[in-house]
Amino acid sequence: MSVDFLHPGEDAAIDTIVPALEMRGIGKRFPGVVALDNVDLTLEPGKIHALMGENGAGKSTLIKIMAGVYGKDAGTIRMRGREVDVKSPRDSLKEGIKVVFQEIALISEFTVAENIFLEGYPTGRTGSIDWKKIRADSAALFNRIGFNVDPTARTGSLPVSQQQMVEIARALAHEARVVVMDEPTSSLTPNEVSLLFAVIRRLAALGIAVVYVSHKLDEVFEIADTVTVLRDGRHISTKLIGEHTNDTLIQDMIGRRIDNLFPRQRGAAGSKVALSVEKLSTAKKLIDVSFEARAGEVLGFFGLMGAGRTELAKAIVGYDPITSGTITVDGRRLSPHDTSTGVRLGIGLLTEDRKSEGLMGELPVYQNASLASLGAFARLGFVDKAKEHQAVQDYVDRFRIKTPSLFQQIKNLSGGNQQKVLISRWLMRGLKVIVVDEPTRGIDVGAKSEIFALIDRLAGEGLAVVMMTSEMPELLGLADRIAVMCEGRLTAVMPRNEATQEKILNAAIG
Amino acid sequence: MSELTHASAQKRLIGGQLLGSSQLVLGAILAVLCIAISIAAPQFYSEANIIAILRQCALVLIVASGMTMLIITAEVDLSVGASLAFVGCIGMAVLNSTHSLALGMLAALAFAGGVGLFNGLVVTRLRVNSLIATIGTMMMLQGGVYLFTREAVQNHNQLTSFTDLGAGYVGAVPVPVIIAALIFVVAYVTLRFTTLGRYLYAVGANERAVRLSGLRSERLKLLAFVGTGLCVGVAGMILSSLMNAGQPTAGRGFELTVIAAVILGGTSLLGGRGSLFGTLLGVLVLKVIDNGIIILGWNQDLQMVVPGIVIILATYLDIIRNNANVR
Repeated sequence: MSVDFLHPGEDAAIDTIVPALEMRGIGKRFPGVVALDNVDLTLEPGKIHALMGENGAGKSTLIKIMAGVYGKDAGTIRMRGREVDVKSPRDSLKEGIKVVFQEIALISEFTVAENIFLEGYPTGRTGSIDWKKIRADSAALFNRIGFNVDPTARTGSLPVSQQQMVEIARALAHEARVVVMDEPTSSLTPNEVSLLFAVIRRLAALGIAVVYVSHKLDEVFEIADTVTVLRDGRHISTKLIGEHTNDTLIQDMIGRRIDNLFPRQRGAAGSKVALSVEKLSTAKKLIDVSFEARAGEVLGFFGLMGAGRTELAKAIVGYDPITSGTITVDGRRLSPHDTSTGVRLGIGLLTEDRKSEGLMGELPVYQNASLASLGAFARLGFVDKAKEHQAVQDYVDRFRIKTPSLFQQIKNLSGGNQQKVLISRWLMRGLKVIVVDEPTRGIDVGAKSEIFALIDRLAGEGLAVVMMTSEMPELLGLADRIAVMCEGRLTAVMPRNEATQEKILNAAIG
Repeated sequence: MSELTHASAQKRLIGGQLLGSSQLVLGAILAVLCIAISIAAPQFYSEANIIAILRQCALVLIVASGMTMLIITAEVDLSVGASLAFVGCIGMAVLNSTHSLALGMLAALAFAGGVGLFNGLVVTRLRVNSLIATIGTMMMLQGGVYLFTREAVQNHNQLTSFTDLGAGYVGAVPVPVIIAALIFVVAYVTLRFTTLGRYLYAVGANERAVRLSGLRSERLKLLAFVGTGLCVGVAGMILSSLMNAGQPTAGRGFELTVIAAVILGGTSLLGGRGSLFGTLLGVLVLKVIDNGIIILGWNQDLQMVVPGIVIILATYLDIIRNNANVR
């Protein structure tokens, strides 16, 4: 493979006229559903084009067609004016389209340099692989995107953010004209995000057309030049970012207006202490964390990546071991320190990682909902299914959980509906304290406000809600009091009305 | 995308509410086998032969009932074959020295249950993968049984009640078949209708979610291991009754037959999915093949070869069926 990427844009004059990639009338059906219907997308070289939409809108189908993972059923794809037929990921790469998926597709046992030249190692005269050239070329590539990764490092040992850079370097090695970033920031720290944005801007400056797939509004406003919104497999709008406001963008995405993302129905919090945590420490993270949560309040915990929010959440419900400190739920001490004691006392965790810690994906909705309260529906160890189904059906109705039936496997529900089932799991059991960790992770904008309303309702019904979040609007919109963590310590607790973004961030930095 | 999955799930519900559709495939295989063998060899359909098949199914079904529960929790026990042989020797030895079937039975159950407990503790406490842990136990038992006895433990007192355990009849039905049916029904009811059964599926589907819900997932797994062990205890005594001796060499490869039947029945090694009814069909298919090979006078070595082919084929059909549902 020639490494001619050091001299880009020789035909830049043509590039600015002819789109880097033009998709016209793209259609894709899966039996029973139209995933994409007559979708257009035009990418200009040197521009960052955001692709937005809720889950199921067709974003991923569209980029998978670009990547050659799926074939299209209708429409045409042109690269710089020439119609191309992308039948496989290899074709797509050859045409100069590089998609960086969320699940990074690198071989973790190989070095960075080996990964970059995976599709074609430069060889010496004898046919042996020219390692020296590989390393030198990788270093040159990183230099071009202004990011430094050791080309000889084992890829698996790098954080996700740097593996993304390796993927981007691979794109350059293939002389990609189009680079697609699929939800690239979902597991990055704020610092890493700004580094990534710098690199993306450099790609654009090199004349590469960048597609930025995301549902995070603030990011899109920060980085995109143009926004295309898809909804239900159809093209809704393509506008310059300057023509959008937060509201118009949300409206395009969900097809209706959301007047108030944080509807507050509940009254003021009570004074009764439902949860009291004293000098809690764990082996790996937490240091002397002490706080109280009252019945009827939402206590929001903020912190940057690695501050220890999830660790705290798992420790106070008895899931992860602690080294010292006490946890008291409704006046009774959580001892022995395990979840069965915790649940008995009335504290439970709504996990941030639904898939691996919350859902029983293969099992039906009703079994997922009743898991924690099954004993209440049993006599002599036998489950009274009629009673159980009725109780679950009540929650499905009350929370408007969208599912074709109680027998549907829960993995087929949308994120928002899955979350509602998991909240039902706890409500059916009856808790005093619910710890919610990133309650809207992976949930569509439209469903988010419903989850917020549910959390509001939980507090309104007298539960103490301890909410871990990294989303500032969520924190400010929902919490009565705000606690901030930094590197395993609690650095500030303040009432909502005294909190400002600045105060919170200062405490989060430590 | 969501509409897509909804549609397919509804289809699946219509087809599979009563019978999981992997059972449909298996039922069809069983029917085809029976018909084909009957055409080639009409004596297949004689009462004597059917009873013989059922008797051969009994031992496997007893242990497979426990194993189904265990595999549903996403664990597996490879030591059941080795344990089966050891249990027979111990039961027979205790029977010889005490002249009491009850004590012999008790010793067999205690030993086999103990093996299950040991496996369970190694897996849940030491967190050793169950495949590895139970291979270790299997080797220990295979060697250990020779430390216990170098040759078969002969039956010295010929208690009729003991002989009946393996060779007796109630009406036309062999006693082992009745015992197997009882154990099967207990296991079936447990899995289908009790909270314990639901928790076993839940542990297999997502152990962490179960733990976060305040349930003791490790105890549930331990219980499944011990349950499997107790089934081996019963099967071991029946086997030694049938052979009129405790044979240290018995039970080689038995664990594979059992696991094959369970997997053939559609129980997922990943846990959370499976049914005892499927296991029953799986056992029947394997034993009908065995029987057919004998009746047709084929080379006996095919008794290993054919089931191997059937397992791969049935699993492949299951994958095709799943894919058809997803599309």
